[in-house]
Amino acid sequence: MSNAWRLSRRNHSFLVFVLLLASRPTPGFCSDHLQSIQHKGVLLWGADAEGGAPFVYPDPQKPEQMAGFEFDLANALAAKLGVKATMVQNQWDQLLPALDRGNFDIILNGLEITADNRQHAAMSRPYYVYAQQIVIRSDSAGPSNLDGLKGKAVGVLASSAAERLLQQQGGVEVKSYPGNVETFLDLKAGRIDIVLLDLPIALYYAKPDPALKFSGEAFSPGYYGIAVRKEDVTLLAAINSALEGFIHDGTLEKIYRRHGLWDERQAGLANYQPETVVQRKSISTLREWPKYLPLLLRGAVTTIILSILGMALAVALGLVVVLARLYGPAPLRWLAQAYVEIVRGTPLLIQLFLIYYGLPQIGLRLNAFFAGILGLGMNYAASEAENYRAGIQSIPKGQTEAALALGMSRPQVLRRIILPQAMRVVIPPVTNDFIAMFKDSSIVSVITMVELTKVYGELATSTYDYIGLGLMTAGIYFALSYPASLFAHWLERSQSYDRR
Amino acid sequence: MIVVENLIKSYRATRVLQGVDHSQKRGEAVVVIGPSGCGKSTFLRCLNQLEIADEGRITIGDVTIAGGGLPRNAQEREQQRRLRMRAGMVFQSFNLFPHLTVLQNITTAPRVVKAVPRAEAEAIAVTLLAKVGLADKAGAYPAQLSGGQQQRVAIARALAMEPEVMLFDEPTSALDPELRDEVLRVMRQLAEEGMTMIVVTHEMQFARDIANTILFFEGGRVLESGSPEQMFTAPTQERTRDFLRRATTR
Repeated sequence: MSNAWRLSRRNHSFLVFVLLLASRPTPGFCSDHLQSIQHKGVLLWGADAEGGAPFVYPDPQKPEQMAGFEFDLANALAAKLGVKATMVQNQWDQLLPALDRGNFDIILNGLEITADNRQHAAMSRPYYVYAQQIVIRSDSAGPSNLDGLKGKAVGVLASSAAERLLQQQGGVEVKSYPGNVETFLDLKAGRIDIVLLDLPIALYYAKPDPALKFSGEAFSPGYYGIAVRKEDVTLLAAINSALEGFIHDGTLEKIYRRHGLWDERQAGLANYQPETVVQRKSISTLREWPKYLPLLLRGAVTTIILSILGMALAVALGLVVVLARLYGPAPLRWLAQAYVEIVRGTPLLIQLFLIYYGLPQIGLRLNAFFAGILGLGMNYAASEAENYRAGIQSIPKGQTEAALALGMSRPQVLRRIILPQAMRVVIPPVTNDFIAMFKDSSIVSVITMVELTKVYGELATSTYDYIGLGLMTAGIYFALSYPASLFAHWLERSQSYDRR
Repeated sequence: MIVVENLIKSYRATRVLQGVDHSQKRGEAVVVIGPSGCGKSTFLRCLNQLEIADEGRITIGDVTIAGGGLPRNAQEREQQRRLRMRAGMVFQSFNLFPHLTVLQNITTAPRVVKAVPRAEAEAIAVTLLAKVGLADKAGAYPAQLSGGQQQRVAIARALAMEPEVMLFDEPTSALDPELRDEVLRVMRQLAEEGMTMIVVTHEMQFARDIANTILFFEGGRVLESGSPEQMFTAPTQERTRDFLRRATTR
C-alpha cells in the first residue's frame, strides 16, 4: 500500500519515532531468530488493519476476523515455516521503528522495496507488483498517463508512492488525503477531478463503483516486500525461499485470484532481480537549513492565517453562543447549551470530516481552507463560550444591580459594565486557546490543507531527519506562540484597574 | 410624592414583607430602622425594582407600578426603568464599577441612559465630586480610594441621574468607624438641602438628627412610625423600646 492512509495520526507520532530511534537496542547476534520463532511456534507479523482492503482488513462478514491477501499470504508463509501466524496491529507509518523494537518478527503490509526502506530493514524478494492507476469520474474525461497530469490538481494518499512520484515529477498540484475513502468522496464531490493511487486500492474501491472509472493503463510499477530486521539473516533466507516456492507452485496466484488481484505483472515476479543497495548519506536538514526553512515557513504562513481567522470566528461565535445561553429565551438557551456540549464532547477530527466530507452530501461544498477555518472556529467557539461564561459569572451581582438602579437597560448593563470587566478575566484562557489553536490547526492536514506540521511530515518522510526538522518546526511554533503570550500579558496588564 | 400600598413579598415560604404601607412628601427624609432580617432592605430594594414585590403598588413621582411579577413586555420594562430613574440607590458595598475612573463612574449612566452630551455630563460630575469633597479624585480608579471615598463617589454617581428620591441601603455598615463620618456628613448635607430620601441604617444619632420620620420595621411590616422625638423618647410599642434601648446604649 506504500503509504499511511492514517496519516492523521502521524503528526503526533513523530516524537515517538524520534524516541524509538534514540532508544534503539543494539542489534544482537541472534542469527537464529528463525529457530526461536519455530521454537515458539508463532510468527508475529506487523500490519495495520486500518489500511483497509484488499491488504488486511476486518472481514465484513465476521468483523472479529481478519481478511485480505496479505492475511492469506502471512498464513501461507507461517505454515511453510511450520508455525502459526499472529498479526500484531501497529500504526502503518510506525511499522519500521516497531520492527526494530522487536514488537514483531516481520512486516507484511504493503511496504515498498525502496532504497529508503532498505536503510532501515532487510527486504525480502517482492511478493506483489503494484502500479499507479489514474481514476476519474465516469462522466468525465481525463489524462491517461503521468505526463498528462502536469498542471492538474491530483488527489493522492498521504505519503504514498503516488504522492512521492508526483512530487518528483513536479508541476502537479498534489492534494494529500488521509484515507482512500476520503479521496474517492472528494473525487465524487467534484472537489478534485483526478485521483492517482496504487492499483490494488483502485481495483478494490474504484473498479466496482459505477460513478468512477480508470483512465489509461497503470504505470510506474514498484514492489511490495516483507521486511525483517537486518540481523535476522536466516529468517530472511527462509522467507525468500518460501516466497519463491509460492510463486512457482501457484500458491501466490491462487491467493491473488481469490482477491481479484492477479494480472500479468504478478507473473513477472518469478524473474525479479534485486538491485544493489547504495548506502545513502543521511541528510542534516539543520546544516542545510536555507533549503528547508523556507519550505517550513511557507507552511507556517498557512498555519498563521488559519489560526487567526479560526480564532476570530471562535471569539465572535463564542460571544453569540454565551449571550444566547445566558440571556436568550428558553429554546435559544437550550440550543446554545446543546451546541457547547456536543461540540466540546466530540473530537475536532470528526467535526472536520463532517464539515469537509459530510456537508457536500447535502449540497454544501466548502473548499479545504474555509472548511478548516469553519471547523476550527466552530470547535473553539464552544470553548470560548465557556470561557466567557466563567468570566461573566465571576462579576459580582452588585455590579448589575448598581447599573440597573441607575436606569440602564439589560443590554446596556451587559455592554458597559459586565462585558468590559469579564473581558479582562477571560484574556488568559482565551490566549491559551489561541496558542493551542496554532498547534491544533495542524489537524486540518486531514482535509488536504498543507500547513506547518504537514510540511514537516512530508520533509521528514523524504529526508528521515526527524530531529533536525522537528527542532526547526518546534522552533517556528514557539516563535509564533510566544509573542501571542507576551501580547496577552501586556493586554492583561494594560487592562488592570485594581492596582493600588 | 412616594406612596407605597400593601407591599407583599415572599422568598419561597418566608414572607419578608407582609403588607407595607408608606407615604412620604417631597423633601422629607425618612429613616428605616429595625433588627436584621426585618425586611427593611427588601422594602428599599422593592422601591427601585431590584426586588419584584408579589403584590402592592409603588408610586414615585408620576410613575406607578402595580401588581407583582417581572415585566412581561417592552412597555412594562420601560415603566420599570422610568421608576428606577426616579430613585437613586446607594449600596452597603458601594458597587462602584472597578473598570471605570471615578469620573466615568458618574458620567456613564447619564450619557448612556439620558443621552447627556459628554461635556455636560462631565461638568455635572465635577460639580458633584466637589460637593462630596472628592474634586481631586476624578481620574482615580475605585480600587485607589478608601471605602469612605468610594461611598461618596457612589452617592455622586446616583445624584448624577437627578433622581427624585435617594435610597440608602445601610451605606455606612461596611465602613470603619473613622470613615463613617465623612459619608454621614455628605448625607446630612443632602437632607439639609431638601433631598427626598429613605435611609436604612443602624446609625441612631444620625437618624435622630436628620429624619423627619422614623419607621420601625419588624417582621416584615412597619410596627411603628413617628417623628424622632416621639420614637426616641416615647415609643408606643414595647418592641420599639427594646430595640432602641439596645441600639443606643451599644
